[in-house]
Amino acid sequence: MKHCSVLYFLGVVLLGACGASNSNSGTGFATTWQNDNGQSIAAVERKLRPLPLVPNARLAVGVTDTGLVATTLDGKSHWTHGTKSASLPIIAGNLVIVSEGDQIVALDAASGNKVWSVGNRGLGLRGAGNDGTSTALILANPQKSLFLAVSASGAALGSVETRTPLGAPAARGGIAFVPWSNQYVSALDMRNGDELGRLLMREQVSRALDVGGVLYFGERGLTRFDEKACYGATNQTNHIALPKLDLPGKPSWIDSGMQNTSSDADARTKIRIYAAPAQTPNENLTLGAGTFAATYFHVLFGLDAKTGALAWVRALPADVVGGAAASSGFVVCDSAGQVRLLDSAGDDANTLDLGSKLRVCVVDAGAEPIPPAAGRGSIATQISAALDQLEPDMAEAERYLVGELGKQTEPLVTKTLIDLSSSPRISPELRSETRRLLALRTNGTEYMLAALERHYDFVSGVLLPPPVGPLADALAASNETRAAPLLAKHLNDPANSADDVAHAARALVKLATKAEFEDLRTFFALYRATADEDALVAAVVASADALIRVGGDAGREIVDRAAHDPLTQADVRRALPDILLAKAQSAAAVPTAVPTGPKAPAENGSKKVAR
Amino acid sequence: MFDRVAALGICLAAVTPAFAAPGSHAEKPAARPSLSLENAKQELESGDEARTLAALDQIELSEERKAAALVDALLNRGANIKILLRALGVDGALGQESSSAAIAPYTRHRMPEVRRAAAQSLARTKGALAVQALRQALRSSDAGTRGAAADGLGALGAKDAVPELFAVLPKETPEAAGAIGTLCGGDDCKKFVALLGKLPFDVMQSGFEPLLVRSGPEVSDALKIQLIEALRKLATAKANELLSNTLAAYPANGSPQVKQAIDRALHGHSVSGDDQ
Repeated sequence: MKHCSVLYFLGVVLLGACGASNSNSGTGFATTWQNDNGQSIAAVERKLRPLPLVPNARLAVGVTDTGLVATTLDGKSHWTHGTKSASLPIIAGNLVIVSEGDQIVALDAASGNKVWSVGNRGLGLRGAGNDGTSTALILANPQKSLFLAVSASGAALGSVETRTPLGAPAARGGIAFVPWSNQYVSALDMRNGDELGRLLMREQVSRALDVGGVLYFGERGLTRFDEKACYGATNQTNHIALPKLDLPGKPSWIDSGMQNTSSDADARTKIRIYAAPAQTPNENLTLGAGTFAATYFHVLFGLDAKTGALAWVRALPADVVGGAAASSGFVVCDSAGQVRLLDSAGDDANTLDLGSKLRVCVVDAGAEPIPPAAGRGSIATQISAALDQLEPDMAEAERYLVGELGKQTEPLVTKTLIDLSSSPRISPELRSETRRLLALRTNGTEYMLAALERHYDFVSGVLLPPPVGPLADALAASNETRAAPLLAKHLNDPANSADDVAHAARALVKLATKAEFEDLRTFFALYRATADEDALVAAVVASADALIRVGGDAGREIVDRAAHDPLTQADVRRALPDILLAKAQSAAAVPTAVPTGPKAPAENGSKKVAR
Repeated sequence: MFDRVAALGICLAAVTPAFAAPGSHAEKPAARPSLSLENAKQELESGDEARTLAALDQIELSEERKAAALVDALLNRGANIKILLRALGVDGALGQESSSAAIAPYTRHRMPEVRRAAAQSLARTKGALAVQALRQALRSSDAGTRGAAADGLGALGAKDAVPELFAVLPKETPEAAGAIGTLCGGDDCKKFVALLGKLPFDVMQSGFEPLLVRSGPEVSDALKIQLIEALRKLATAKANELLSNTLAAYPANGSPQVKQAIDRALHGHSVSGDDQ
């Protein structure tokens, strides 16, 4: 079935023509409707297809404590409108629709001048769409919903009142598209409210959207209103949805269209996804220029449209309270009143100032892309910069960014992980994660060595030691012998945790040279009889292994003596004979063999180090 | 084990001419118990806590400086906490500079009480190595260790450590005041005096008395008199007590002007010259 039935379209046109009048009571939303396999909606689509696209005004409208403040995205027009607005403004065509008291008011998007107003009939504003001339309104309360079409001059056109909850509409070519019952989109003639066609969808639908003049229906995903829309019942439409995501705060993309708008801002206002469907050259649907954006308070994440992988990130000076995706790029408003036009990589193309602090903001980016701007460096650089600007209460964003950081291969990532691991401001859980990721690093060695040069120092205010354990693991795995003297010094630094010391000792089993003999000997002497925790026992045993390897007879004598000294800590004493024996056997078998390290005591409870 | 303890005891008790200090005379204080270094070595290497501690007691009693090497060897081998603390104390009592090398690593032991004991011992064994270790100990996270290190640095005259002492002074290390008062010179002394009123008096006071009684050109009489006047103006019991104690301990060769100023201040008179 290439196209849904033409014959049905003719019937609908005739029916519509017969019924055309200025009547304000239409026939929409009949519950006796039978599935017509997409024929009626196909007819409507064919009728509208030749018409030019009518995008909404490119505008940002902010809600302040005293009213509305707006700017066109080209920066040429800026206006304010004093009102105790009861609703979130809606950009519909070249109008801004807002509920004020008992009126629904339409303001000119370019000037803010009042164009018309109609009584709200005791209902709240749920949604509005505009086809360039007429406006489709949905007004509702919990008991009933009203579809009301309004002419360009503010005259009431068709209307339909129903007890069925209606969703947010869109309009095109004199026809309003109204979602309802989570599965239908009714096409209503705005002149009289008659239903010209109905789309049956198998995906939840509560909102109709105008994106650059093209209509979409949906909630969890979006179905384009095109020649394939008639296949909604069989899920064969042109459809776009977000990839599976695990983002901080679990942001939402499209709010349910079954709720009235409100200008009250809450945390969810600042945790959003901004994604706009767009057509690829081969006519498939994608999101923006292959990216979409998510906000978490003042952090903005750019994500790959197909995979959801982090493509870019930036932290803004203030929380994001509204925005929209363009066909390429994004427009976001922050609570300080700045409107930022960002390209598809999140770089600043332009910034407009609304001049007031905002509670919430709505934006329509229209059909035009945001032009490319100067870059901000690699994703690793961006993550590092964003992490620097996060406060302790942004732990969820930090956790996400650290996870993303671990996926990057740049050496700079190693430095960032070191800095985070040494930072007193991050949570213990996040520090554990940064340490885990750091231990896996295979590059950024110079950053690791530089970090090991640092020690706890009360005098100079270095109050957290470097992450010695993970660094020891990473450097041992890469056989970095330059780390040996640094790790040996850390053995005898009491500011390091016992666990870190154990990892350092194990790394030294592999990396130590004769130059580290004295530090190893000191450590062994200080703790072979005083080790009071499992990790320290493991460290002492590992140091014994290293001592024998680099110290030859002198090292063996020290360890042998300790093995026979009743004062040696019991667990250490039990482990030493095995090491001595293993070393003796190793030496006898292959005199030049590289030692493979100690057999870790079963009870030490420490993590194993890659040998 | 008892047999070996008894053997040491018998050996130490039976003071023989061979172990007696040569040239000792009857008018000298009571003879210290002499020590068999060989026996002491055996006991220190016994691996038995009681015998090792007994040997350390005897070494301390004997004041035999040659035994310091035996204690150093014990520290170099390592031992349990009880023995380590005792060994550090004994090495400190023997006061041999050569022991500083064996003691110094213990200023970095993971147990704070061991670090403190090591720092205290280093103040008695002295030498460049001791100063170096104490300066490092001043960077410790443990206030007790920093305090012991500060005391030690003051006792050892480690003037190079004054900047670090200033750094730790306001941070839970009041002992640094005493060391600064002992070690400072020129501008550092002025800086120290200027801290009066900025840091709590309890933190500062241990540094003022040593500063006021110091002789030599490093601390001018003018600065001392400035300090005395500042203390007088505080007009607190603690400040008065400090001045009284200083006056009581004032050295005979100290500056007469300073002494007079303390006396005048204690009688409520200005010493700045404003009302003279």
